[in-house]
Amino acid sequence: MREATISTDVETRPPRQEMRQRLARWASAENLLAAILFVVLFYVPYLVAGYTVYILPQYMLFGVLAMTLCLLWGLGGMVSFGQGAFFAIGAYALGITLQRVETQASPWLGLLVALALGAAVAGVIGYFLFSADVRDAYFVLVTLAISTIVYVIANSQSDLTGGFNGMFIERVTFAVPGGVSLSMASDLAMYYTVFAFTLLAYLGFRLLQASSFGRVLVGIRENEDRTRALGYNTALYKTLAFAISGGVAALAGALYATDAGFVSPSLGGVLFSTSVVVWVAVGGRDYFVGGLIGAIAISMLSNKLNSLIPEFWQLLLGVLFVLVIVFFRRGLIGSLLLVPQYLRGRRG
Amino acid sequence: MERIISLGLEIGSATLILALVSMGLALIFGLVRVINMGHGAMLALGAYLAWTLTGNGVPFPLAVVLATVGVGLVGLVFEVLVIRHFYEHPFETLLISWGFYLVVTELIKIIWGSTLKNIRNPIPGTFSIGEAGIGRYEAVVCLVSLVLLLGTGFVLYRTSVGLKVRAMIQNREMALMLGVNAPRMYRSVFVAGAAMAGLAGALIAPMFSIEPDMGTLWLVRSFFAVIVGGLGAIVGGTLVGSALIGGGTVLFALVSKQVFAQTVVFALAVLALRFRPVGLLGRR
Repeated sequence: MREATISTDVETRPPRQEMRQRLARWASAENLLAAILFVVLFYVPYLVAGYTVYILPQYMLFGVLAMTLCLLWGLGGMVSFGQGAFFAIGAYALGITLQRVETQASPWLGLLVALALGAAVAGVIGYFLFSADVRDAYFVLVTLAISTIVYVIANSQSDLTGGFNGMFIERVTFAVPGGVSLSMASDLAMYYTVFAFTLLAYLGFRLLQASSFGRVLVGIRENEDRTRALGYNTALYKTLAFAISGGVAALAGALYATDAGFVSPSLGGVLFSTSVVVWVAVGGRDYFVGGLIGAIAISMLSNKLNSLIPEFWQLLLGVLFVLVIVFFRRGLIGSLLLVPQYLRGRRG
Repeated sequence: MERIISLGLEIGSATLILALVSMGLALIFGLVRVINMGHGAMLALGAYLAWTLTGNGVPFPLAVVLATVGVGLVGLVFEVLVIRHFYEHPFETLLISWGFYLVVTELIKIIWGSTLKNIRNPIPGTFSIGEAGIGRYEAVVCLVSLVLLLGTGFVLYRTSVGLKVRAMIQNREMALMLGVNAPRMYRSVFVAGAAMAGLAGALIAPMFSIEPDMGTLWLVRSFFAVIVGGLGAIVGGTLVGSALIGGGTVLFALVSKQVFAQTVVFALAVLALRFRPVGLLGRR
């Protein structure tokens, strides 16, 4: 009976108003910003060439790494100081696979190994910790230890990882069924491959956010005990989130390895892991697009300013980080995205 | 026999040095529940201050005292400007103090540069027991660490100041009603912790090379020492935790490389954290 009432309700509603409502829902400030970002990124190679096209994919991959932290921090309320460790695991996984297995399919295999390894390491550590309800500062400490451990292993296992000197990895060629092969040798091919990966990752994360899984994560962030009381196995949800985050971070790391052509242990180190935290905090932990833009913008600025004012730029970044935590909890992009909502609130 | 004595000395010194480094962290964490991620930068700052002062002809003991005071002052400024507004939000203080780490580390790089620095060993020579021996300076630092631990224990458990601090930790509102000046207590604890970090940094400076990032590894090690030892038990917990982390590293280093031993101990510490989150001596 009730369903019938609803359906007549929809029928009697003027179609134009319904369209507008649907449009308004899709055209949120967040989606618009993401659309603009991806359109701009798509056209960058048309406008400029050379170094920008070479370097931008690396920053997009940093952006994906930042989004893996948004998943943990923004949705689940877990801050990881060890995302760089998973990035490094993925990078080394691809490199080592390419060295050991020489077939046409080894680049694909390398990506698969990276994804599986990253997800497995994060999943095992995650379940181990979350099932004992290790959270907040303790979780930070453990992730800090993970990145230290990965750094030490990468540094000391020279025969496997190249040790302190790092590992050189060539641009791979992906064999596609049907006799076609996709060579990453040109910067342009690499650019659009990474672009597609970043776009897919973004869409995937947004879908995850909208799914029931994402909502349970938000519930955990807001009140874990209550979510558990509602019957959700919070440890399992957190473990899954951590595993997804670790797997995607490792995949991004693998692509980074073939793109940059070089992997050094410092990718797994504490310093790189914590700069991911800075990107996400400054960009905005609540929005995937915030983390993405934070990572790309800060990396670009770092690249430019590191040659002009190396120390002062890092100092500025540190001060910015403190200011954001103290005054703009939502980060710069996150605060920006709230402006339309705020204006609408004033008008109405 | 000599081998056992020398191993014992090594474990003892690793334990006491780690306890010295961890004490400031343990004090701030245990009493005001702030995770001071800036601890590593405070250590480095203490070391650099000591380096500059000794380089300008100040005798080493005085340089250590001045470095302690200097880092304490930096801690005071940081507390007054930022931290005091966030005692109610422990997780925000973790992030903010990480920002402090970033800022101070960069300031160190701007002021002192990134090259490795060394302070000449102020007390050269070794004490020897048969074949085994320990560096004279190292022994003195261990002694200082012991005095610091005992002193902190004394202040916390045998004086009225310590009584007030512990009352405030147990029940803040009740302590406030009984006339404890809580904001001043919090500030004193934070500054004392910062000063201890400065002291530790200055004291370990002649034993390790000084670099801007020197605090990072110490931060992780002392964190584990504090947490494995136990939150509530500031002095005993720090000592036990340091013995397990510092001494454990020495023992594992017998069968593998130093860095690898460190890694194994971290992994074991994660295990300990998983199965006993309040730490070995901690109480809920």
